[in-house]
Amino acid sequence: MLPPDRPDAGPGPRAGQGGLEPFEVFRQEREGDPMRHGGSVIAPDPTLASHYARELYARRGESLRLWVVRRADIVELDDPDLLNPPLDRSYKKPGGFVMRDKLAQARARTGQPKRVAGSGGPAKPRPDGDPT
Amino acid sequence: MSGPAPAHGAATASLLLALADDDFVLGFADSEWTGIAPHLEEDVAMSSMAQDELGHASAYYGLLAKLTGRDPDEIAYDRPAAAFRHCRLVDHGRGDWARTMARRWLYDTANAVRLEALAQSTDRSLAELVVKVRREESYHLAHDEAWIERLANHPGEPRRRLIEALDLVGPDAPSVLAPLADEPALLASGVQPVGGSELQALWLERLEPVLVRTGLRLPAPAAAALDPVTARSGHGSDFEALWTEFTFVRRLDPVATW
Repeated sequence: MLPPDRPDAGPGPRAGQGGLEPFEVFRQEREGDPMRHGGSVIAPDPTLASHYARELYARRGESLRLWVVRRADIVELDDPDLLNPPLDRSYKKPGGFVMRDKLAQARARTGQPKRVAGSGGPAKPRPDGDPT
Repeated sequence: MSGPAPAHGAATASLLLALADDDFVLGFADSEWTGIAPHLEEDVAMSSMAQDELGHASAYYGLLAKLTGRDPDEIAYDRPAAAFRHCRLVDHGRGDWARTMARRWLYDTANAVRLEALAQSTDRSLAELVVKVRREESYHLAHDEAWIERLANHPGEPRRRLIEALDLVGPDAPSVLAPLADEPALLASGVQPVGGSELQALWLERLEPVLVRTGLRLPAPAAAALDPVTARSGHGSDFEALWTEFTFVRRLDPVATW
């Protein structure tokens, strides 16, 4: 149990309890690196958040640059309907449609052997099976 | 290494000792907050800044050791409490959070003025060190000011405690910049380019905007805080306790190899 004059140290936003709130800290390790999420600090305002970020994420010289962002200012998207809708979206992936099964069915219908992509000629049977 | 003429060695040594002891004592006193600061982040920040002060002290003791041919650890840990030459301001114990922040703010503002002058010291090794120390100190000062404003702008207990703290430690604050007994020699050699009285005036100017913004006042200086001798001697019971603590392990076995 924390003493009464000590702000709640539990998880979650603490604004309103001693006026503390979470800030997210991003750090760059080397010039040219992307900013990566380092962690968070709890602070009463952006000024002290910057000091705490410095002491927690840069006091050993491990950061070239920090971004300190009030967590409340971050737009969070986590709705599955938005991010992971239930329909097949494989055609949006760089690999495109999964064609293997459709091609196999078409070959079975026409009796044609598989052709090596780009060779232009009849495919030689592969000794090690079909990796596609 | 181009330094001052050897004749000025003793005066330079007294300046280095004052600088080192100030940061050493403040660093130790502030490190008492480790584990009990107002919240976790402040705990880490305060502990880290206390370590910074010990780091600065270590660097000053290092210069002093080179100048006097002594061992820095001996200077730091093997002196009786009465031989320390830290100022009256940091002789006050940490007290509550408001007193710690008042002590830090008054010290860091005064120290900033002192270091700004010493960056032009004719003692090259001191000037080079001070340039590095200042880069770190500017962040300490910004942290202090953020806290002073927070406490001052929160009516009720925070503001009341801050005012009590300023009333207690404020009269001793000018001791940071009180002229050293060796000041004439330090000014003559240029090791210390600006005298204590002038530094004190600059320091008060520096405090003014924050005092005006917050409606706080700094109490009149104590006579003992302005006198070259009493500003840095006659330590109180707070420091006796601190000294007992920070020399404890060393005194168990002074010749142990670490």
